[in-house]
Amino acid sequence: MIGSAHLAGVVGARLVAASGITIPHIDYTAILPELILLGGMLLLLAAAALSPRPLPTEAYATATVGLATASLVTSLVLWRDVTDRGPLTTVAHSIDVDGFALFFLVTISCILVVAPMLGAGYLRRERISGPEYYVLALISGSGAMFMASANDLVLVFLGLEILSIPLYVLAGLDHRREASGEAAMKYFVLGAFSSAIFVYGIALTYGATGSTNLAEIGAFLARNVVTSDGVLIGGLGLLLVGFAFKVAAVPFHMWTPDVYQGAPTPATGFMAAMAKAGGFAALLRVFVSTFPSLRSSWQPVVFVLAALTLLVGAVVAVVQSDVKRMLSYSSINHAGFVLLGLQAATARGVAGSLYYVFTYGLVVLGSFAVVSLVGGSGEDRHDLARFRGLGRRQPVIATAFAVLLLAQAGAPFTTGFFAKLYVVEAAAAAHSYLLAAIAMGSAAIAAFFYLRVVFLMFSDAGAAAPAGEGATARAVEAARPAGIEPAGAAGGSWVPEPSGAVATMVAPVTRSAAADARSVSSGVVALDVSGEPPVATSPWILAGLGICVAVTVVFGVWPQPLVEFAHQATLLF
Amino acid sequence: MGSLDSYLPILILFVLALAFAGLSIFASKLLAPKRPTSAKEAPYECGIVPTEGPPQRFPVRFYLIAMIFVIFDIEIIFLFPWAVVYNELGRFGLVEIVVFAAAVFFSFLYLLANGALDWGPVKRIRPVTAAAQRTTSSTVRRVGAGSGEAA
Repeated sequence: MIGSAHLAGVVGARLVAASGITIPHIDYTAILPELILLGGMLLLLAAAALSPRPLPTEAYATATVGLATASLVTSLVLWRDVTDRGPLTTVAHSIDVDGFALFFLVTISCILVVAPMLGAGYLRRERISGPEYYVLALISGSGAMFMASANDLVLVFLGLEILSIPLYVLAGLDHRREASGEAAMKYFVLGAFSSAIFVYGIALTYGATGSTNLAEIGAFLARNVVTSDGVLIGGLGLLLVGFAFKVAAVPFHMWTPDVYQGAPTPATGFMAAMAKAGGFAALLRVFVSTFPSLRSSWQPVVFVLAALTLLVGAVVAVVQSDVKRMLSYSSINHAGFVLLGLQAATARGVAGSLYYVFTYGLVVLGSFAVVSLVGGSGEDRHDLARFRGLGRRQPVIATAFAVLLLAQAGAPFTTGFFAKLYVVEAAAAAHSYLLAAIAMGSAAIAAFFYLRVVFLMFSDAGAAAPAGEGATARAVEAARPAGIEPAGAAGGSWVPEPSGAVATMVAPVTRSAAADARSVSSGVVALDVSGEPPVATSPWILAGLGICVAVTVVFGVWPQPLVEFAHQATLLF
Repeated sequence: MGSLDSYLPILILFVLALAFAGLSIFASKLLAPKRPTSAKEAPYECGIVPTEGPPQRFPVRFYLIAMIFVIFDIEIIFLFPWAVVYNELGRFGLVEIVVFAAAVFFSFLYLLANGALDWGPVKRIRPVTAAAQRTTSSTVRRVGAGSGEAA
């Protein structure tokens, strides 16, 4: 049975020999969440291929939600096992299913439960059929899970690639839009570049320590004092650069605004949530648990990274007039907050980062879903003016968006408040007072642009038109002063000039828009033309949005369970 | 310093490679007789003389076929070493390779269903809705000759 050591992979075989175990044991229950996602993904592909006629996108969404729920339940069962019996190590020590990994497994499963709900409405609206969105999301999620439970740099890299490659494709999913293709290309080129840097970091680390296994590297560094540590520090630096690219930390953030803006909006939300979850999982594990002895070398670097990320993310977001772009810069700002926990390099800091990643994932998914709804068909209307008076036109959506934005700003009674509180607290406890101050300053700057959108949504400027002229209430509410935008489009058809728009509006794509257009009298049509297109919601998006908001508010008012979870996760490192 | 010593052979090899390339170019410049003719200057010295340039764009299907080929090529690369140590690996190895082959096969099914191997006139497997500004006249450029018969 010695030969079966080869099975564990190139690295595994060597490690098996080193640790004296001759038979590599693959504990399939330990990697069951990943297996569920990957197996389900294959079945989805097969179902799509074998079904005589194209399945509706909702069928795929239902299946994906089911798979993600199964993986969530499995992760929670594993969590119970791990708290009872301690961490599981399998596949020749290259996978370590501990509390830390399981926290991320739960986070990733939650993202995967919500993402298909938010994606289904969008895909139907843009008439993109096929299982690709869901299949790619599942692969990407399994990659992030492998990153979270990886105990070997090679597996971290594999997870990183499994996470990233589907994201490149997701960015270009709407291949009819030029911006989407451009985003995919940019993301691919820069992502491949950062992966190469990361691999070089692995190579140098291996050269310096003689192992790619995180536990062995940690043990080596604990036993030996590296007197000339140039290679090791170089490797560490390259690893950090690779991770910083993935989580979009300044100055490696250049791709973020363009990619986030160009990608289909639900894919943007998924990308932001998933890449950050996977990236930070591996980043925290590699740096805090493997290289604590080199803390004095990497902490200052992370300090600078975090400070730059916090400030650039917040300041540049202020001047954005495009909400999608603003949210991408704000996601950079959030990455800075998570880096705060890494810089502290304490159990408290890591717990804060974990909590932050979990809450951020759901908040960002929901936020981008709202942007997608307001952007309307064709996805070219994301400027701030579009959100004016949304509170009157779509009170439910506007309220949900307001809650999510307030959570991002860190308002009390939302998860965002505790997320920011814990990382800043951890930074202060680790005597990084300057960084804590920078973080709070950037939060204050960030609050400005979040609140601006909230005020805009609930400002009364949208109701300038005289009410009740034989028009439906909705048509009047949809109207707002002309001049900011040339003309609104009814459910998808862009109308260049107001004249002749009446004819165009009778045959729009959305049914609700058609009803509106037919029911308004000619006097009000002019108003409606200068107004906003109605936001076409779907029960799927509303359900997904509901989950995001519910989690944000419930755990914002009652954070204890989630805090306990994050805290325990760091104890079971 | 100690850890860097082991990289010295790589550096030497690097220098040697550079020196070899440089010396070869220099030597051929110095020693080779130069009697150029038009045939020698052509990109390919033998074969049929080209009358027109190759088409700028190939149909996407060629690339699809190439990618499918690469996927199965990789599968074979994994199958060979597995076959060599089949007896040592036993049932466990068989299960693992079947899982791997199944993953490739399901992907292949998906490709087939999407018409990756269909030649001839395009069958619409899914309704294609293109953006209004993209039409056949704006995105497709006819290449090569045959101006009369193309219409």
